[in-house]
Amino acid sequence: MASAGHITPNMSAISKSRSELRRPSRRWHLKDRRWKAVNQKEPERTFTQYDVHVETPSYDDEVYENNLTHNEWTKDETDYLMSVYREANGKWPIIVDRYDYEGSTRSMEDLKSRFYTVSATVLRLQTPISSMTASDFTLYETLSKFNPKQEASRKQLAEGHLYRGRHEVDEESVLLNELQRIMLQQATIENEREDLRRRLDYPRANTNGYQYNSSSALTQLWQQLLATDRMKKNQRLRPTGHPGFDGFNSSTSARPRDSNAGLDTNLPSRRGTRDSLPSATPQNSLPVDLSAAEMVRFGVVQNQDKLPSGVTFASDRLTKPRVAKSTVQTDKIATILQHAGVPELIPLPTPAVIEQFESIMAKVHTLLDIRKLAEKEEQELKVLS
Amino acid sequence: MAPSSTKRVRNTKLTRHFLIGNTAHILPHPSFPSSPPDGHTKGWTVYVRPLPNGPDITTWLKKVQFKLHHTYADASRTIEAPGPFEVTETGYGEFGVEIRLYFAPEAGEKAVYREHYLVLAPWGESKDQMERTNEVKAERLETVEFNEPTVEFFKQMTSEDQFNWLKVKKGRGKGKKPEFVFEGEVEPSTQLPEKGDGGKGGGLGSGGAWNRGFERQVVGQLREVEKVLDQSLEVERRGMEERRRKMEELGVAVAAK
Repeated sequence: MASAGHITPNMSAISKSRSELRRPSRRWHLKDRRWKAVNQKEPERTFTQYDVHVETPSYDDEVYENNLTHNEWTKDETDYLMSVYREANGKWPIIVDRYDYEGSTRSMEDLKSRFYTVSATVLRLQTPISSMTASDFTLYETLSKFNPKQEASRKQLAEGHLYRGRHEVDEESVLLNELQRIMLQQATIENEREDLRRRLDYPRANTNGYQYNSSSALTQLWQQLLATDRMKKNQRLRPTGHPGFDGFNSSTSARPRDSNAGLDTNLPSRRGTRDSLPSATPQNSLPVDLSAAEMVRFGVVQNQDKLPSGVTFASDRLTKPRVAKSTVQTDKIATILQHAGVPELIPLPTPAVIEQFESIMAKVHTLLDIRKLAEKEEQELKVLS
Repeated sequence: MAPSSTKRVRNTKLTRHFLIGNTAHILPHPSFPSSPPDGHTKGWTVYVRPLPNGPDITTWLKKVQFKLHHTYADASRTIEAPGPFEVTETGYGEFGVEIRLYFAPEAGEKAVYREHYLVLAPWGESKDQMERTNEVKAERLETVEFNEPTVEFFKQMTSEDQFNWLKVKKGRGKGKKPEFVFEGEVEPSTQLPEKGDGGKGGGLGSGGAWNRGFERQVVGQLREVEKVLDQSLEVERRGMEERRRKMEELGVAVAAK
């Protein structure tokens, strides 16, 4: 631009006058000359419209001291930043390129951050936030919301994105496809589930008043069903064992109380305690009610575990333990018992006697085991010594 | 049979004490008036009896079969309820009598064998007394256990009627065996009485011997036995300790080599 061409006069038949075009360039104050047709009317050509200067926030020392101090920034450097900004016409890449202040290594984000903060502060000082115009306020918002870290990471991401390799792009697209597929699948499953739920949904009662909505009504229903069930051959319901719920005593014995079952059904709130008072036995499994004393008197022994079947004789428990599998062992037991003074026939097989005898037999067996062991050890000792 | 009789009372057993034994006399004896066959020197009675103060035995025992030695004519003698379940014979030798007990049909149990070895000669501590009185007695207490009895049988076995035979006797003061008379001091029970009918001593055969006192005596005797065994065990333990020490010594000696 500065070297505007000179067109030789003889090149054109048209007479041309030299005109001087003053370009209102403040910086270079260049004058260029060019030929033009004499008769031609020259359109007003001005370049002033391109002569735009960027605005930088202005501040004096006092304002700086009060509002713009910063730990990492001196006023000189701030001033320098402003000047570079003006020179580079606000083009940040150029600013970063040209910025050269005492070997500082500030990034674009640092510079931007500082510049925006200063701008926003100055803007606020000039016009308080409350009286800002809409555009000013938007500007202020933008300036003050600048987040250098986020910006840096954004740029890093963009840079990474720019330099990624072919296979990375492929991988990404594959992953995206996969995600797409999964999401579709999930949607399908969700739909199917919904469908299933709708199918499984219980049929709503048509009648308005659901008749089994209280616990007493439910008890009644249970009793009805249980009564029906008991008529059948293979019962599917098990009584709860609670007379108040079942409406009858579920014990196996045929007690006269059972005749009250029908009555109980109608009176679920009946108390069963009165009936069970006279029986002193813990379980009502006996066909006859007996007190503890009566049980002793009639020779009834209850709550025996692992009873053998059929008829047994207590005296067998005084004779059978004496017989071992081998005759040798049986003889050994007999010898020990005889030595200890146990009569061959104990004529009184009462529980106390049997208990005592069993304790004796346990000792006899211990003795036998020990003697067996002793024999072995003696043998070993003989061999060793 | 009705289903109720097959239904059983779970985890319950019924127990009844009874006596199996025999008495024997050297002939001639007033109890054996008719002259015995050649060579028969003893007269004896083998029996199955209830406890003197116990419930009626016929509640559960309906029939007893005594199998005598095969040399006896009609060796298998069967006695039906109400008994008495006993067989009286004369003879010269001892042998094992096989006794088969048949239970009440309500019990739903099979017949069971017991054996009693006939004792004809005086024996034991009261040998002298037996010789003097010319009465040998050998008897033992048996306890029959009905495991998980039927409901029907359980009802019978817990009925108060079982003691009626005692009450009747008590009221009229008579019975087959006078010494059995129940004086009404102790409530009849299936359990052993606290005391025997006093004055009878170790009256075997009368049933008077079977009481708590005798039980305690037997238990005490067995306790003594247990003490003897404990001593033996102690001796063995010491022996074991001794051997172990020897073993250790030997082990050290072997290791030293």
